[in-house]
Amino acid sequence: MEATTAPVGIPAVLHPRAAEFTRAGARALERRIGLLYLGTGVALVAAMGVLGVLMRLDQATVVGISQAWFYRLMTLHGAGMLTGLLVAMMGALWYVLRETVPLRAGRMLAAYALIAAGALAVVVATLPGGFAGGWTFLPPLPFYPAGQWSTWSEAAFLAGMGAVGLGFGVFCVDVVEQATARHGGLAGTLGLRFLLGRDAEPPPPQAVAATVVAIDGLAAASAGMAILAGLLCRTYDAGVAFDALVAKNLVYFFGHTAANLVIYLAAGALYVLVPRYAGRPYATTKVFVAGWMGSFAFILTAYSHHLYMDFVQPEWAQVTSSIVSYAALLPVAVITIYSMTMLVWGSRYRWTLASTLLYVGFAGWAIGGVGAVIDSVIPFNFRLHNTVWVVAHFHTYLMLAVVVWALAFLAHLLEWDSDRTVSARSRAATVGLLLAGGYGLTGTWFLAGALGVPRRYALQPAGTSGYSLAGSVFALVFALGFLLFLIQVAPLARTAWERRGERRGPGPEAAEPARPAERRVPLETGLQLAVGTAVAVVAVAAFTPQVRDAAEAGAGWHHLAHSGQFLLGGALGLVLGSLPAVSRRLGDRSSLGLSAVLAAPAAMMLVMIPRVYESLEAHPAEHALFHAGMAALGLVAGLGATRLGPVAGRLTLALAVAMTVLYAAAVTGGGG
Amino acid sequence: MSLHYGEPQVALGAVFAAIALALGVAFAVIGLQAGTDVSVERVHRIGYRLRSRWLAFLVVVGVLVLGISFFALPYPSGASGERTVVQVASGQFFWTFTPPSVPAGTRVRFDVTSVDVNHGLGLYDPHGRLVGSVQAMPGYHNRLDLTLDDPGRYVVRCFEYCGLNHATMFGSFRVTPR
Repeated sequence: MEATTAPVGIPAVLHPRAAEFTRAGARALERRIGLLYLGTGVALVAAMGVLGVLMRLDQATVVGISQAWFYRLMTLHGAGMLTGLLVAMMGALWYVLRETVPLRAGRMLAAYALIAAGALAVVVATLPGGFAGGWTFLPPLPFYPAGQWSTWSEAAFLAGMGAVGLGFGVFCVDVVEQATARHGGLAGTLGLRFLLGRDAEPPPPQAVAATVVAIDGLAAASAGMAILAGLLCRTYDAGVAFDALVAKNLVYFFGHTAANLVIYLAAGALYVLVPRYAGRPYATTKVFVAGWMGSFAFILTAYSHHLYMDFVQPEWAQVTSSIVSYAALLPVAVITIYSMTMLVWGSRYRWTLASTLLYVGFAGWAIGGVGAVIDSVIPFNFRLHNTVWVVAHFHTYLMLAVVVWALAFLAHLLEWDSDRTVSARSRAATVGLLLAGGYGLTGTWFLAGALGVPRRYALQPAGTSGYSLAGSVFALVFALGFLLFLIQVAPLARTAWERRGERRGPGPEAAEPARPAERRVPLETGLQLAVGTAVAVVAVAAFTPQVRDAAEAGAGWHHLAHSGQFLLGGALGLVLGSLPAVSRRLGDRSSLGLSAVLAAPAAMMLVMIPRVYESLEAHPAEHALFHAGMAALGLVAGLGATRLGPVAGRLTLALAVAMTVLYAAAVTGGGG
Repeated sequence: MSLHYGEPQVALGAVFAAIALALGVAFAVIGLQAGTDVSVERVHRIGYRLRSRWLAFLVVVGVLVLGISFFALPYPSGASGERTVVQVASGQFFWTFTPPSVPAGTRVRFDVTSVDVNHGLGLYDPHGRLVGSVQAMPGYHNRLDLTLDDPGRYVVRCFEYCGLNHATMFGSFRVTPR
């Protein structure tokens, strides 16, 4: 017989055995920032959901929205929903990761400010500005407005999306920097040392998940920054042009990966929260680490299934993408979802509002994933690509998994603080409405997708409005469930507020996570410094007359030479900043370092436009100074990177250089 | 022209519905048994044994499905040879086909491009069934090989969001009886 009263410090609403592995209470800081992010995310999701219902009603011809407004709303719905889910999942992961990793509140607030500013810019660009280029802003569509939007709204939208990406990047850098410092470097944090038998104790599962997500997130954000910078340049220099295939690869590498990562962000939180209701801890095993290493690679490489119908993409890339897209299913199906069902089965699971939503989200992830895997087989994709089947599968795992988890995470915080949950009947009504509405809505899209109805149509093909009408009804049912959820948790929030004074303080094991004792630099040994110096020496080639002449063959080559100059500065900065004497003088300026490594490549790309450098070509001294400026920006980035520790420092500088190379590949216009 | 379900799509939809239903039942059963008390040792013994089989099953299904799919890729191979090349140009918001028609049974190579932004050529047969799609990209030519046996009017819709009139960007291509 299990105890019916919870041990001191653990709310009775959780599983009684949860006390054996759950810290007594989150610090106010963790809870406040978690609530800020989750509250904002859920509010954004609700607002964007209203737009979604409006669009579906318009497709059903129940309401009348002009095509121009439909596509504005569609653009805002996509960008806003992704941002809302990203924010909610960042908050959830922060909340669980900070138990063991000393993430910085200042960084979270800076990330929040950037994302909020970006979201505001996107709203201004779409609603009053009329921008309707789709949230994927597929180049060169932003510059073919068909009379619908102006240059300022293009710029506002692109800058807004860039700010959202930067905010996510700030969070990711902090995760990498702090998690690797806490858990013995990259190999320790990812669990590789444990996998190889060198560490007896594994890192916590949320640290493994968070580090994989952060590194993949930084890679995706870098590609996004490169193409966004190119597009921003085009708003003030019409000479900038794009290679459509490379640009499409970058857009989907950024967009698909970011959308995919919201699920993996959630996974990190699930490893901590589901055990609290199942009474069984989630342990990091060697199979778990191996699975996440697979996901590490698959998340980055699966995106190119978006280009199956771009037949000029090399066939080897298409076939590889097909294999990787299927392989991505394996760690999810065999490890995360499967092990969660093992955790729940026969556990005397505590069914609360939060824990029910956590559980049903797994079904949404699995069923949506099956729809995605079917679409990722090339001959099937030939018949489903860009039909509403695509809309169906991603709404299944976003609405019925990620949105549901966002509500679950919020409910968990409130259940913890109020130490109560809602009645079984209310819970059944809320979850029932969400599931009936959600699966009904996505079901209409699956059917219409199989029929061949294309996606992103303001006007539906003749004879298909019935699907939209049924979808609208189901969307309203889902909205009703969402509203009922908010009504249900309002009393919990009130109780939590009333009990704020008597809130359980953190137990002795909940002390502030330990911060690393000493600041480390990216290049610590003589060999590492020698390699850094050697890279700088090789990069000097970017200044030689031979390379300069060869770079005149085209804009892409010219931009690539600039990347070489940036690399020279970056390598020099990394070497100099890593020297003990210099490092001591620079001090512990982590925030400044982060700002430098983000701002320097952005500045470089934003001035790398034909209007600037073509006018300099008649003036050798100024032209040389321009190239020296590229190296100087690299130097700033390199010095900044040294303030971020060994792993985050090397990673951010490498990605800064990679960003400029990707820019060179995608931006082809202008003279040499 | 109203749309109709194509046979491949019906098969895919049925497979998906069956798997989704099976997953729904599995989650419901596990959820119903979540309230019982099973020792962790028993959960691990049964769970890990089933997991190995689950992994093996997914790997076998993947190898089979992907392996077969690689013999049915829609990509063109080699030069156009004896195929009739149909030049397809697209732009905001139009399609042009040169030549605009071919006799039934002709082995066609669609050479698809765009003069402005990305579009997508979604081809529907005279019965309103989606045959397939290929993207139209500025600066690139995507080539799609098909043999069109059914005579009649093939309708083209845009399959990549391209701006204001995306939903009404129609085109048509005629296949004449032999």
